[in-house]
Amino acid sequence: MSQRKSYAVGTGMFIVLGFAALAYLATQTSSIANSHQGASYAVQTQFANVGQLKERAPVKVAGVRVGQVQSISLEPGKDVADVTLSIEKKYGQIPTDSVATIYTSGLLGDQYVGVQFGSAKTFVSDGGHLGLTRSATSLEDMLSKFVGAGGAADAIGGTFSVKADFTNVGALSVGAPVKMSGVAIGSVASIKADPTKLDAEVTLAIDKKFSQIPDDSSAAIFTSGLIGSQYVAIQPGGSPNSLKDGDQLVLTQSSMQLEDLIGKFLVNGSSSGANNAGGNGSSNTPAGKH
Amino acid sequence: MSAQTGRSNNVVMDSLAQIGHCGLFLLRILASVPRSMRYVRETVRQLWFVGAMSLTIIMTCGLFVGMVLGLQLYHVLAIFGGTSATGSVVALAIYRELGPVVTALLFAGRAGTSITAEIGLMRATDQIAAMEMMAVDPIAYVAAPRFLAGLIAMPLLCCVFCAMGVFGGHLVGVSWLGIDNGTFWSNMTATVDVWQDIVSGVVWKSAAFGAVIALIAVFQGYTTPPTSEGVAYATTRTVVASSIAILALDFVLTAFLM
Amino acid sequence: MTTTVPAKSDDRALVRIRGLTTVLSGKTVFDALDLDIPRGKVTAIMGPSGTGKTTLLKHITGQMRSGRGEVRVDGLNVPELSRDQLFQLRERIGYLFQNSALLTDFDVFENVAFPLRQHTKLPEVLIRNIVLTKLQAVGLRGAAALMPNELSGGMARRVALARAIVFDPMLILYDEPFVGLDPIALNQVLKLIRTLNDTLGITSVLVAHELAAIKEVADHVFLIANGKVVAQGDPKTIADDGSPWTRQFFGGEADGPVPFQYPAGDYAQALGFKQGEA
Repeated sequence: MSQRKSYAVGTGMFIVLGFAALAYLATQTSSIANSHQGASYAVQTQFANVGQLKERAPVKVAGVRVGQVQSISLEPGKDVADVTLSIEKKYGQIPTDSVATIYTSGLLGDQYVGVQFGSAKTFVSDGGHLGLTRSATSLEDMLSKFVGAGGAADAIGGTFSVKADFTNVGALSVGAPVKMSGVAIGSVASIKADPTKLDAEVTLAIDKKFSQIPDDSSAAIFTSGLIGSQYVAIQPGGSPNSLKDGDQLVLTQSSMQLEDLIGKFLVNGSSSGANNAGGNGSSNTPAGKH
Repeated sequence: MSAQTGRSNNVVMDSLAQIGHCGLFLLRILASVPRSMRYVRETVRQLWFVGAMSLTIIMTCGLFVGMVLGLQLYHVLAIFGGTSATGSVVALAIYRELGPVVTALLFAGRAGTSITAEIGLMRATDQIAAMEMMAVDPIAYVAAPRFLAGLIAMPLLCCVFCAMGVFGGHLVGVSWLGIDNGTFWSNMTATVDVWQDIVSGVVWKSAAFGAVIALIAVFQGYTTPPTSEGVAYATTRTVVASSIAILALDFVLTAFLM
Repeated sequence: MTTTVPAKSDDRALVRIRGLTTVLSGKTVFDALDLDIPRGKVTAIMGPSGTGKTTLLKHITGQMRSGRGEVRVDGLNVPELSRDQLFQLRERIGYLFQNSALLTDFDVFENVAFPLRQHTKLPEVLIRNIVLTKLQAVGLRGAAALMPNELSGGMARRVALARAIVFDPMLILYDEPFVGLDPIALNQVLKLIRTLNDTLGITSVLVAHELAAIKEVADHVFLIANGKVVAQGDPKTIADDGSPWTRQFFGGEADGPVPFQYPAGDYAQALGFKQGEA
């Protein structure tokens, strides 16, 4: 009998432990942990672009969570999204001229609404309105800004332009940096397709400071890392003459498509018999086999 | 009979016959569940054996799985500058996939085999026949309680596994690699959805796994030839069949629950 | 005398089998078997190995219901009973397995108490009294706390016997109760079978080979061979009825109506000395 009782007690403890674990998972590690909150009040805001902002996303002041996004809606006929923020009562002293901004937490993180306090002496009340907002910045904008800033396109001394033809520009975009020895010396000014040569004609705007580039230099489109953006690299040649405004770079190396790279890698890595399915000439299959 | 000795030539027909028998056996178990309510004590006892006795291995493995996930993901995410997402990725990986599957595989090895061996030996020593003779339905007394115990124990074990896994990920991520404690938790709580990830990911999935493992284990034990060779063979087959069933079912369930 | 027993209606028969025909995997085990087991007696069923004596017990308890014919136990035709009716019948039948079949999870006390706990809601005190009474009857009251793996073969069989009689059944079936027992244990079991039969008024059926033991305990003997009852009667006189079956079986001769050779093809041909057609 005592044997049975110990089973029952042990089993009971096991069940309690299991449910405790479940409760822990559900309340401490999931979104429920975010959604439970005390009394709150609603604040209306408008954003021109909410980006990836979702309902229940946190609302933060100085990086500390003060509430969450209650609803996101678009009124027909308007081009701004109505976002209702639900903010906890204890954070009731938000100045009316505060600015609500949609931020991204980290490169991969979710978006949240950050509130920077203004200096007004009056506070937003329940149902009140925050007029000053800054919309979500899309990653592309941020990247191009970043690239633009880092791309030495500040070009205080003005730029001169050089053309280069590529058979394939890949994901190269206008504003991408032009680098020599890894240092940015200018940016891509324009990319357009040449209707007669059927090539992409890329115009590079290079800082006037770098006027000593040999005119037989080559241009190549490189990718910075696997997921990085593409840039144009100039490899200096040995000619005594320098590039001038409007010159053409003859030696170019087009962008390497990731698919091509992987394909090459796969083909080279496989047995030689599988080579040359595309059939561009140099067959190294034993001739006698045919 | 060839299905029981496992020496048939036609593997496919054999497997189909096994699945068919197994399905009919499930119906017999389900039909006997109301009768087996009289044997609640037996169910509790089995819950002790398959559930509580598996806690040590489940907790240890959960801790290590969480720790290694934290370590691996931290270094992968560091490439993208996203180490702050370690907590959420560890939690999602454990809840959606590793928790239920690893728990189920461990459960099949730990509890499934012991169920099969026990029932096989009960058969070999005529205990099953003796119950028949004492007017006790062995399906209701032996099979159903073990089946129910597996069904109940698996979700509970899986929750414990997941909790230990998150703890292990926290241990490595926060205490060792220095991710900010608040970031770790807030990222996790921001991404884990209680219905999608915990209820359907952890609880339903592991309950389905538990039912499948317990069914296979009971079935193999119940239909094994009453010899020591037969019991050994059935035990092996429990592990093989449940592992395959778990992974196949995992794919199907994931496709449905997503 | 050799083939069939006259099928006269006998109200004193607890088990009455008429025209039982069983075919198991192509082999005819019983061929229109008729058999009456008298109430309140110890009946022994004997026969060469493989004649289906255990199968006969399974027919009586309904564990095997595939045969044709009638198996009446206390007036109920076993093959036609529903599962619930069969279970009700089984509660009145005790069955002693050859290897005792004690539940290894429980100690001796719980093993004997098992049928009571499953089928009754008796208070714990009453269960305790019944179990201890039965254990006392088989002389193992002191072993109540032992686990089955701590028992010798003879003790385990006595515990199984205590379990079989815990409901005071009308019928006990013993499947090879003497196998593997030392002479002391064998005599203890013998004595128990006789005492239980006489004191509780139980009908006992035992399947066994041990002629000496059966002579001592049985009131009536059936000799089964080739699916039929080939001889029956008082154990002390049955050996003298002069049929070749009884002479071979009780005389222990290697060859006779039961052949030494298992049925096979021509020996010389199998060894390749004689060219066959194939």
